[in-house]
Amino acid sequence: MQDLKVQFFVSGGTVNAVDGVSFEIDRGEIVGIVGESGSGKTMTALSLLRLIPEPGRITNGRILYGEKDVAQMTDEEIREFRGNEIAMIFQDPMTSLNPVLRIGFQVEEAMIAHQRFSNKQAKERVVPMLQRVRIPAAKDRVRDYPHQFSGGMRQRAMIAMGVSNEPSLLIADEPTTALDVTVQASIIELIRDLSRELRASVILITHNMALVASLCNRVIVMYAGRIVEQGPTRAIFKNPQHPYTWSLLRSMPRVDEKEKERLISIKGLPPDLGKMPPGCKFHPRCKFRVDRCFTEEPPLDEVDPGQRARCWVLMKNIANPEAQAQT
Amino acid sequence: MAQAAPVIQPDLELSYEMPEQVTLLSDAWRRLRRNRLALVGAVIIGLLFITALISIVWTPYPTWLQAVGPTYQPPSAAHPLGLDQAGRDILSRIMGGALITVQVGVGSAIIVSLIGIPLGLLAGFYRGKVDTVISFFINIWYGIPDLLVALILVFVLSDALHLIPRGVLVIIIAFSLTRWMDVARLVRGQALALREREFVEAARMSGARDFALLARHILPNALGPIIVQATFAIPAAVLFEAFLSFLGLGLPSPTPSWGAMAADGYHGMDFAPHIVLAPTIALSVTLMAFNWVGDGLRDAFDPRMRR
Amino acid sequence: MRGTLLYIGQRLVLIAVTTVLVSSIVFLLLHQIPGNAFLNETRQTPQALAAELHRYGLDLPLQSQYVNWVQGVLHGNLGESLVNRQVKITPLLVRETSVSATVGFFALLVTVGLGLLLGVVAALRQNTWIDYLASSTAVVGYSIPSFVIAIFGLLVFGHYLYLWTQGTFYYVPGWGKLEQIPVPALALGLPYASYVARLTRASMLETIRTDYVRTAWAKGLKARVVVVRHALRNALIPVVTILGPLITGIITGSVVIENIFGIPGLGKEFVTSILARDYNIVIGVFTFYAALVGLANLTVDVIYPILDPRIRY
Repeated sequence: MQDLKVQFFVSGGTVNAVDGVSFEIDRGEIVGIVGESGSGKTMTALSLLRLIPEPGRITNGRILYGEKDVAQMTDEEIREFRGNEIAMIFQDPMTSLNPVLRIGFQVEEAMIAHQRFSNKQAKERVVPMLQRVRIPAAKDRVRDYPHQFSGGMRQRAMIAMGVSNEPSLLIADEPTTALDVTVQASIIELIRDLSRELRASVILITHNMALVASLCNRVIVMYAGRIVEQGPTRAIFKNPQHPYTWSLLRSMPRVDEKEKERLISIKGLPPDLGKMPPGCKFHPRCKFRVDRCFTEEPPLDEVDPGQRARCWVLMKNIANPEAQAQT
Repeated sequence: MAQAAPVIQPDLELSYEMPEQVTLLSDAWRRLRRNRLALVGAVIIGLLFITALISIVWTPYPTWLQAVGPTYQPPSAAHPLGLDQAGRDILSRIMGGALITVQVGVGSAIIVSLIGIPLGLLAGFYRGKVDTVISFFINIWYGIPDLLVALILVFVLSDALHLIPRGVLVIIIAFSLTRWMDVARLVRGQALALREREFVEAARMSGARDFALLARHILPNALGPIIVQATFAIPAAVLFEAFLSFLGLGLPSPTPSWGAMAADGYHGMDFAPHIVLAPTIALSVTLMAFNWVGDGLRDAFDPRMRR
Repeated sequence: MRGTLLYIGQRLVLIAVTTVLVSSIVFLLLHQIPGNAFLNETRQTPQALAAELHRYGLDLPLQSQYVNWVQGVLHGNLGESLVNRQVKITPLLVRETSVSATVGFFALLVTVGLGLLLGVVAALRQNTWIDYLASSTAVVGYSIPSFVIAIFGLLVFGHYLYLWTQGTFYYVPGWGKLEQIPVPALALGLPYASYVARLTRASMLETIRTDYVRTAWAKGLKARVVVVRHALRNALIPVVTILGPLITGIITGSVVIENIFGIPGLGKEFVTSILARDYNIVIGVFTFYAALVGLANLTVDVIYPILDPRIRY
C-alpha cells in the first residue's frame, strides 16, 4: 500500500479521512493498527477492499496486492477479490450478520461466491467451518438465525465466514470491542490460531495496546489519518519515539509497572478532520512540542532500523519525559 | 437540587411543563418552515380557505343556476372553466365546492378528535376494563373496510331514517363514527407511555386530580402526534365525501360537491372533458396539499421518523 | 409448525367472529329502516305484501330475524335477493367475488410490483434524476384518488387513444376479456403503489447502509445478490406490515372503480343494491368484504414470520 489518500466529499468541502498512508504487509505477518476512534484506521482497512462508504472516495495512491492494484480493479475483479483474497471481520457481530438469513447459509454463500467450491462442496463445508471456529454443536446450529446466537458465537460465525475461502489476508476491525471481556480472549486466540493454520496475514485494528502486544509482529500507530509511527512491536513498546505512541502506552495500566509511575492520559480530543491544524497534527495535544511543530509537518523518518516516526523531537531526545508530561 | 429549592406545588406544575412545550412547538415550527413541500401545501390550503370564504358571499354565478350559457360550453373568457351539462358555471361551482371541502375536512377532523382523544385517554390512562373494551373496538375495526360502513351509515341516517338531511353534516358524522379509531389508538399509546413519565408521577405525588393530570400533563405532551393524525383525517374525509358524491350517495344535486361534479362530467367526457377535469384536478391538488402538510408536520414533530 | 397451524386456526375463528359481528352491525342498522324494497311496488294488495313479507321472514320480530340470519350465515346461506326474486345471494356473490378478486389481484400486483420497483431504483440511485423522478411521482401519486385516475384512464384510453383501443372494451357492458383488466387495475393500484414506493425507498436507504449489507459486499457477493438477498429482503419487512391496510384500501377503492368501468363485481353490486334498497344483498356483500379483509390480513401475518424469522407465533 502506497501513499493512500481517502477523501470524503461532504457539503462544505472535502475531508481527508486518510492522508498519505503507506505500509506493507508480508505473508504470515500479524500487523496491528492502533489509534483513537476517528484516526482513520477503519477507513484504511475498508479501502483495502474498496468498501469506503459514500461520499468517500480513494483519491490517491495504490493498493498493491501482489502485482495488482486494488484501486484500479474493475468491479468484477474487486468482487472476486473481496472475501477471496482479503476477508474482513467487523466490529459489531450484532449488526454485521443478516438477521433474516440462517447462519449456515451466510457462511455457505461466501464460499459459493467465488467458485472455489461447488454448491455441494460449499454446503458440506459449512459444518466443518463452524466447528473449526469452535461453535459448539455446530451441526444443530447451522440452521439457526443470528438472533439465536450470542455475541461471541456470532463473531465466531463471522470469522468462519471470513476464513471459509482461505484468504491470504484477514482484516479484523476491533473484533472484540463489542464483546464481553470473558469471550474477548478466546476470539483473539481463535484468530491467531486460524491465521497460523492458513498461513494468512492479519491486520488487527484496535485501540487496545495490550492486545497488540500479545498478538502482533508489527504495529502501525495512526493519528488524524496519518501514520505517526510504525515498527516492530518490541521496538515500539520498548522505545516509542512519537509522543503520541508514548502517551498511548503510558495511558495503559500495566501490571509490571512500578507504583510510583502514574498513568498519563492524553488531554484533549483528536482534531476535527475538516479543520486540521497546520504543522504536526498532534502538536495541540503534545507535551513536548517545539516551535517547528506549529508550522511544519514532520516526515515519517526512520529512527531505528525498521522503526519510523513522524516527529521533530523524538522521545529518545527527551531526558525525563515522565516529569515533563505531568506538568 | 431538590434540597436547594423547596418545592411549592403550583410552581412545580407550571415551571415543569412550559419549557418543554415551548421548545417542542417552536422546534417543530422551525423544521416545518424548512420543508418546501409542506410550505407549498400550506399555501394551497390557504388559497382553498380563502376561496371557500369568498364563495360564501360571492361567486361569479349562483352555483345552482342553470343555463347561464350553452350546455357543455368549453372554457371561454366569460366562463374561465366553461359550463357543465346543465349550463352551470363551473368556476362558481368549484368555488362552492371548496367551501364544502373545507367544511367536510375540518368538521371531520374536529369530530374525530373529539371522539378519539377522550376515549384514547381513558383507555391509556385507566387501562383495565375500559381499555379492554375500547381496544377491542379498535382492533375489530381495523379488520374491516370502514369507509363502506360509513357509506351505509350515511344512507341509513339520511335516506332511510330521515334523521339527518343528506348533506355535509351526515357525511361528517358517518365519517367520524367510523374513523375515530385512528386517533383513539394513537392517544391511547401516548397516554400509556406518558402516564409512567417522571413529570406525571411528580404531579400525581403533589396531589393533582386525574382530570388535571390528563388535561395539563398528558394531553399537551401528546399534542404533536394528535395534530398530525387530525391533519391526515382531513384529506381522508374530503376523499370520502368525493367518493360518496361520485357514486351518487353523497351530497344531493345541485350541491357543488367536487365528487358529484366529477360524476356529472363523467357522462359527457368524450366531447366535454373540461367538466370532469376541473373538479378532479381541484380535488387531487387539495388532497395533495393536505398530505404534504401532514407529512411535514409528522417530520417536524418527530424528527426521528425523518429520512 | 404446529404452533403456526394453531395460530392460523385461532385467527380463522377470530375472523369468523369478526365477520359475523361486523355484518351484524350492518344487519341491525339496515333493519332499523321502516319499509323495504317491496314498498316501491305500489300496485300491490296488502295480502300480497303480507305474503311477500312472510316469504322472506320479514314479518317476524327483529330478534328472530336476526337469529335466522346468523344461522344462515353460519351455514353459508345469505338468503335471497329482495329485488330479483329467487336469486340466491351466496352463489351470486361468490361469482362476483371472483371477478373482483381478479381485478384486485392485478391491482395488488401493480401496487407491490411497481411500488417496490420504483422504491428500490430510487434508493439505489439516490439523489440522481431517476430518484427525483420516482420520488416526485410518488409524492404526487399517492394523493390522487383512484377514481380520478380511472377517469383519466378512460379519457386517455377510451377516448384519445380510441383508434388504438378501438373503443370496444371500456364502454361495453360485457366483461371477461383480459385486455379490460389493465386500466382498472392501474387505477386501483397506482395511489397505493406510490405509497409503497415511498416506504420502500426509505426502508431500502436504511438497509443498504447497515453493517450486514457491508458484510455482504465484503464477502464478495455479486451486486444483484447483495441488493436482492441482503438489502431488499430486510427492506421488505416494514412494507409487508402495511399490506393489510393496503388491501382494505383496494377493496374500498374497487367500489368506485367497478362502477366506473362497469365491472360486474362485488363493488358494483354493493352500490346497485343500496340504491335499489336490496338490503339482503348489501348485508351479504358486507359479510363477504369483512371475511375477505380478515383472510387477507391473516395471509399477511403468515407471510411475515417467513420474511422475518425473529417473529414467532
